[in-house]
Amino acid sequence: MKTLLIANRGEIALRVIGSARALGIRTVAIHTDLDATAPHVREADHAVRVEAYLDIDAVVQAAKDSGAEAIHPGYGFLSERAEFARAVEQAGLTLVGPSADVMDRMGRKDAAREVAIAAGVPVVPSYGIDDDPASMNYPILVKAAAGGGGKGMRIVRAADEFEAAVAAAKREAAKSFGDDTMLIEKYVERGRHIEVQVMADSHGNVVHLFERDCSTQRRHQKVLEEAPAPTIDEATRALITGASVALSKQVGYVNAGTVEFLLDADTGEAYFLEMNTRLQVEHPVTESVVACTPSGDKVDLVAVQLAVASGEELPFTQDDLWLDGHAIEARVYAEDPYSGFLPQAGNATLVRWPVPPFEGTRDGMRVDAALESNQVVSTSFDPMLGKVIAVGKDREEARRQLVTALERTSILGLTTNTGFLREIAESDAFRDAEIDSAWLDRHPPTAPDPSLARTIAAWTDVAIARLVERPGPLMADGWRDGGPAVPTLVELDQVVRVDRAAGLVDDTRVVERSMADHVASLRVDGQRIDAVVNAQEHGIDVALRGQRFNFERPDVFGDHGPVVGDGTLLAPMPGTVLAVNATSGQEVKEGDVLGTMEAMKMELALKAPFDGTVVAVHPKVGEQVPLGAVLFEVEASA
Amino acid sequence: MTDTESGGLRAAVDELRDRLAAVRNDGAGGNEAARTKHTDRGKLLVRERVNRLLDPGSPFLEFSALAATGMYGKEGDENAVPSAGIVTGLGQVSGRTCVIIANDATVKGGTYYPMTVKKHLRAQEIARANKLPVISLVDSGGAFLPMQDDVFPDKEHFGRIFFNQANMSGEGIPQIASVMGSCTAGGAYVPAMSDETVIVKNQATIFLGGPPLVKAATGEVVTAEDLGGGDVHARKSGVVDHLANDDAHALAIVRGIIETVPRPTSTPWEVLEPEEPHEAPETLYDVVPSDTRTPYDVREVIRRVVDASRFTEFKQYYGETLVCGFARIWGHPVGIVANNGILFSESSLKGAHFIELCNQRKIPLVFLQNITGFMVGREYENRGIAKDGAKLVTAVACSVVPKFTVVIGGSFGAGNYGMCGRAYDPRFLWMWPNARISVMGGEQAASVLATVKRDGIEAKGGEWSADEEEQFKAPIRDQYEAQGSPYYSTARIWDDGVIDPADTRRVLGLGLAAAAHAPVPEPSYGIFRM
Repeated sequence: MKTLLIANRGEIALRVIGSARALGIRTVAIHTDLDATAPHVREADHAVRVEAYLDIDAVVQAAKDSGAEAIHPGYGFLSERAEFARAVEQAGLTLVGPSADVMDRMGRKDAAREVAIAAGVPVVPSYGIDDDPASMNYPILVKAAAGGGGKGMRIVRAADEFEAAVAAAKREAAKSFGDDTMLIEKYVERGRHIEVQVMADSHGNVVHLFERDCSTQRRHQKVLEEAPAPTIDEATRALITGASVALSKQVGYVNAGTVEFLLDADTGEAYFLEMNTRLQVEHPVTESVVACTPSGDKVDLVAVQLAVASGEELPFTQDDLWLDGHAIEARVYAEDPYSGFLPQAGNATLVRWPVPPFEGTRDGMRVDAALESNQVVSTSFDPMLGKVIAVGKDREEARRQLVTALERTSILGLTTNTGFLREIAESDAFRDAEIDSAWLDRHPPTAPDPSLARTIAAWTDVAIARLVERPGPLMADGWRDGGPAVPTLVELDQVVRVDRAAGLVDDTRVVERSMADHVASLRVDGQRIDAVVNAQEHGIDVALRGQRFNFERPDVFGDHGPVVGDGTLLAPMPGTVLAVNATSGQEVKEGDVLGTMEAMKMELALKAPFDGTVVAVHPKVGEQVPLGAVLFEVEASA
Repeated sequence: MTDTESGGLRAAVDELRDRLAAVRNDGAGGNEAARTKHTDRGKLLVRERVNRLLDPGSPFLEFSALAATGMYGKEGDENAVPSAGIVTGLGQVSGRTCVIIANDATVKGGTYYPMTVKKHLRAQEIARANKLPVISLVDSGGAFLPMQDDVFPDKEHFGRIFFNQANMSGEGIPQIASVMGSCTAGGAYVPAMSDETVIVKNQATIFLGGPPLVKAATGEVVTAEDLGGGDVHARKSGVVDHLANDDAHALAIVRGIIETVPRPTSTPWEVLEPEEPHEAPETLYDVVPSDTRTPYDVREVIRRVVDASRFTEFKQYYGETLVCGFARIWGHPVGIVANNGILFSESSLKGAHFIELCNQRKIPLVFLQNITGFMVGREYENRGIAKDGAKLVTAVACSVVPKFTVVIGGSFGAGNYGMCGRAYDPRFLWMWPNARISVMGGEQAASVLATVKRDGIEAKGGEWSADEEEQFKAPIRDQYEAQGSPYYSTARIWDDGVIDPADTRRVLGLGLAAAAHAPVPEPSYGIFRM
């Protein structure tokens, strides 16, 4: 293999480029217009523009045009599409992954289950869709055969909920996957998500690289992943790893794959769930703990993938592989954990990772990320910004290191889940490995108190202003004649008084240790604090122990414009009423559009001046109204 | 307190700080009840308004904070009018140096006493001379009616405020008003005469006649809000341009308005990087004797005020009782004229020459005034000290560069004129707390008057005992003693404030920064009597 096309973007593209480059393989990136200057494009030896990352023909053509013999699909996008694998095969190219046939067989949960049963792998007790709901052992899980990511999935706790749940799941499945085939399984209340990494070559060799535990999930999206699994005994480990190898052999698997199991936390029983026919997001935790005899070096899964795809035999046997230490990965997402995990977008003005990405493991920390300062994060792609991996000789050391790594991860400009990740990593529940896969859904996070961050923001704002200003009689030191200097007022979401001379922010004692390169190093009420701060004209962004706090300076002309004295809306111009949206007696919020009128070729929205009740609606649609005609009357709610 | 000389100056500074703290209080001059009533309405106290209006951390050079001290009632007395019921000064708003004029409604409802008017006009004068935008924070019931004869009719009375507003606006000096409380009768013209005006809804009112007057005049019954509230003026009358929710919002809007005012693009002189003096300003307490009669070298003061303590002296060995030379203060070039003894003909000529140099070179002048007067006696009169003194006075009077006067000791007689007293239009005049000001010393005045009286009595053949003479002289001395106090001066706004000597450099720097906004015209002089 001389040239490899990477059919992906972001951190995984960079990850593959790194291993390929180390093997002397030329790399080709693909990109859409939005990604024309993305890091993976800059990093690859060659780049080809495609209309979309999901455009199979374009991707295959790009590989052909650039002289690539092989394509690495990464994860997501086309990585598990048998159709893509087939197109690659038909083009005479090599896909770094299993064959299209294998994908076909393992891609569908029902088919995979059959394969598993045939291989003697334990599966979750299941029911037929036409079985009598009354005969089922609740709770049960209804899920789409073609599904993933929690879509088309319902937990049913009683027979009378069964039909509605199935119907809803089918609708969702049809919409998401175009296939509404349903599976029904026993539902494990406190389940842990355990998965086994396997690697197979085209010569019939299959090994496992131990397991990972990805139980810390929110709505079926993995949050923290670790290796090895903290709660299983050697017997269970032997069972699942053995079963995974058997399954892979049964299906004739080649390349890297992951076999997922559901571990019943109450009984310790493990059931086969599905097989992922690609490299996983969380592969770095395996790479961090699986060592290979005789060198003791950790395994590079991508390098092994490329070797296997070139037709080579696996570079190790099962007996060569052993577990060395513990690793935990945290997925940094552009999402707001405190507002229902809503995806976030924006300009990542300042990005600080605890160690440089893709430069190996340093101080027990590794970062796989493509996000860099001033990169625009759009909602067009997966909101994952990067992965922070911590490695230790045991789980507790890795966990502590993860907390440190996340504290040193500062992403400003947009909201991320970093602070939330740190909070979980720090929690007793995670420390004690008590977090099952539904735990986060039962324990929704609460937003952290912004007061410390506000103190830091205000102090830093003043400190920076003093630092950059030219000394002169007008310098901003709060000077007053014949009296003490007055504290500086910093207007954020509230007015903060900063008294530098007295070392006070409102009533909090602050000692400045240093202030450089966006890092404010302070002692606040005796506590040492390092925060990354970006003070700009319109607001101040603070990353404190991973959590980003944004304080906007008030915009007087934009924000709290005064409301009307009385709630009578008059026609601002003579014109035609285009729409009447409000009805008398209707409750309205400030800014709700009660109607629209057209005048002088302009459409004017008539908005409720404050929260209240519409007490009168005067105009009719199409009516000509003179200037100052009374259109709506709103009475303020008490 | 020890009675050492430095202890004396320190004690004077302590007294000054106490007096300032007393009028500034926790943000306004009124008594606790008045302040509570004010804040209970959701209004900010006047100095808090100023602080919130200013850029974060901006210095504020307050003008005559001790105005009206003891004039209408003793300090703390219910008739007292702390700071004359108005806060004026200059500071940075949206990066521009502005003059702020803010009524203190906790003091007699912000009404205008004679000194309030004088202080308002003085702030306008400063704004006009230095071409600084004026921001008025209006919260006043208008003229103080019991004293209408000293407030209303004369040239330098209430009406002059609006005359100044119109003319300043005409000269391109922005006039911005924020109405934050009542603004009645004549006061209504402050916002109405402004270029751009903000009003706080449900709090501020503007009307020529309030509800009681309307009822008396026409029988109409109307609420203050309906008569001239924020909504009325923002939506119907057009008297104001911006409607604010509260004080903080109004101040923020004003800051937004000032942002649209162009910044000055050049200064009339070159401003270099400032350098701190080599001696800390507080060491002034140790080098300046508290008794103005004790001689000391004024260069000790200069080296604690100027950049890097560097002073290039002019005619160092000639007319040595007047020290002249060039220096920089906060990077601004200055020509310093400082008394180092009584004025003789030579020192007067030297001063006149030096002032001409500064005007020629457009270098601002700083007068450090500590003068008992021009030398008297036959020899000096016969040699024409009057015409030499006149040359100095002419040079000072006709100077076109900005002048700054700091009375660091005595300010007596014609020395006051030659050293740029209030009548000579210095851009700013400040006094140290140890300063004394009067036409002559109390003892001299008493002696002069006693001599005249004794001559009269003795001409009629009468006799005047030493006891009687002493009884005659004592009240004169007392009068001069009281009237010579810097607090008597500053109460009447003969100066722009009594300052801590340690603040001299900063205060001069702020004055220079303000003065740098206005261009300097070409010099021309009256006839120098040769």
